[in-house]
Amino acid sequence: MFVLLRELQRLRRQIGLRPPGRSGSLAVRHVDAGSCNGCEHELGACFGPHYDAGRFGLSVAASPRHADALLVSGTVTTRMASPLRTAYESMPEPRWVIALGDCALGLTFLGDETELAGPVETLLPVDVFIPGCPPQPEAIAKGLLEAMDQSRGAKLGRRRLHL
Amino acid sequence: MSVPGSAIQLVPADQWRSTCEGLVDEGGRFLALYAVRENEDVAVRAAFDGPQGPTLISCTTESGVAESIVPVIPAAGWDEREAHDAYGVDFEGHRPLRALLAHPDDLSEWVVPVHGHDPYQVAVGPIHAGVIESGHFRFRVVGESILHVDLRLFYKHRGLERAAEGRPLSTGIAFAQRACAACAVSNSVAYAQAVESLQGYRPSPRLARVRTLLLELERLYNHLNDIGAACAGIGFAPGNMAFSALKERVHRLNQALSGHRFLFETIAVSRSPATIDRAAAAEARAEVETIAEDARRAWREVLFNASVQDRFLGVGRLSLDDALRLGTVGPAARASGLRRDARSDAPGLEYPGFEPASLRHSDGDVAARVNLRALEVDATVALLHELLARPAVPLAEPSAEAALEIAPGRAGIGVVESPRGETVCVLEAAEGLLTRMHLRTGSYANWPSLAHAAAGNLLPDFPLINKSFELCYSCSDR
Ligand code: SF4
Repeated sequence: MFVLLRELQRLRRQIGLRPPGRSGSLAVRHVDAGSCNGCEHELGACFGPHYDAGRFGLSVAASPRHADALLVSGTVTTRMASPLRTAYESMPEPRWVIALGDCALGLTFLGDETELAGPVETLLPVDVFIPGCPPQPEAIAKGLLEAMDQSRGAKLGRRRLHL
Repeated sequence: MSVPGSAIQLVPADQWRSTCEGLVDEGGRFLALYAVRENEDVAVRAAFDGPQGPTLISCTTESGVAESIVPVIPAAGWDEREAHDAYGVDFEGHRPLRALLAHPDDLSEWVVPVHGHDPYQVAVGPIHAGVIESGHFRFRVVGESILHVDLRLFYKHRGLERAAEGRPLSTGIAFAQRACAACAVSNSVAYAQAVESLQGYRPSPRLARVRTLLLELERLYNHLNDIGAACAGIGFAPGNMAFSALKERVHRLNQALSGHRFLFETIAVSRSPATIDRAAAAEARAEVETIAEDARRAWREVLFNASVQDRFLGVGRLSLDDALRLGTVGPAARASGLRRDARSDAPGLEYPGFEPASLRHSDGDVAARVNLRALEVDATVALLHELLARPAVPLAEPSAEAALEIAPGRAGIGVVESPRGETVCVLEAAEGLLTRMHLRTGSYANWPSLAHAAAGNLLPDFPLINKSFELCYSCSDR
């Protein structure tokens, strides 16, 4: 195990991760609403050892009730529309919605229309869009930081309540 | 010259089961079962692999009823349930025929009843904690022990097969590729091979080489990811981090070689859109070596860590008999002692003298599945070493025009070993347009085996068992 930890230390030195240089935090709840799993892999990489989004105060929450932002990937399927809404409704205000990847943005239409509820925007108010198929980990980190910047200083009541 | 593709052999409805049974008795192996609309009727087709190559048989249902083959081929269980939900076929002898693709509200329509003293339910998903695909598991538990788990997938069902219908054969590949990012190359190659078999086109050795190279790059990042995932499944963060870092390096290598981290759009029908120049190949070869060296070091740490092994050993066991019965494929099947790998017989790809990996102790537990992947990483590295070394690493190959006349009553079948196991693509076409595409991936084949292996284990071990199979939801849901 010590060898592995040493390796990680070496890796961190090699990558030369810059210190965050900003304060704040954003807890993200991720919902896969019908992706091809590519967006999930890149989101995982974004929080992995090379990019380490955690050092910017970003984290993945295990429940929507602990989250500031809902991060949605995939073209929303008819079957995921209702769980997605439930997740959104479970979040405390103020809350942000981030659409991750071309599918979530409605830029790709792969699938039978009877099975698709539409891009995220047609179901929830989207604050930040992260394009790409899949978006690269840097792009995801940038998008999440944008949401974090939006959330800074935002007060309850300044935003519409979407219930 | 023989007619390209596989003939769709018609079987009378009352001989459906006996014909399937006969094919298996003659050494055939079940590949897939699916339904298709024919004018006013619905027909059921089943594909088998045999010594003479793939066979496809079909029977027209009698007002929507067909004989079930599950009593003789249990591996077709999910296939029949899907054909029922999507095409309304009733399978006589498959009782109860539980919902799979359909999501009825009534629990009794899709879960196996569990009786006895104090069993309770644990429902998980469709949204999981963390960055995980969507799907629902319904556990029946006594105390901490899993009696039974029912899987309800298809939350991500995008109707990709139906959406592909009516498209030209060359563009339908997008639907196979986007079924799953982690198996994008495998699914696309299976699709491309199915079209090529239908059109009577044989891939040139150069095309075979690029495809093999891309398939092995895909396997490399997936296997590294899966070893890391198993470490995550027991909370062994250093192992998870080390293997995630290695996986990331393969993504970067993919980007440098093909322009895409997941090798998207590198496979096309009868040609290769991927251009790999000699200098890039040489650099990639050196990088594969260093990745392999670091992977070996990280693996030793996992292998010789007593507490890690203590969590892996004996958990989530799948016996050889069960693997055979359930039609388990890929690393999971090999970890249970089944010596089968679609790479050992892969016309159209370059695997000379390929031998499936096998363990000294094929216990079929989590440890075996993880160990087997580590072995396969070595084999993949050796293959990549070869593939990237010989200067024949091809540039884009001009499209070879094949005989585009497709004989009626024939289908194309492509079989590829994906990182999860054997993936089958069956295509039917008329006048150059797809009339039916069926993609049965390694993940689809293995979900029932995962559920079986989980029974009798502790509920807290389920994430670990799940990760040791590391199946894709998107591949199965389509
Ligand atoms: S945007 Fe691309 S990578 Fe993401 S889910 Fe859609 S197809 Fe997959």
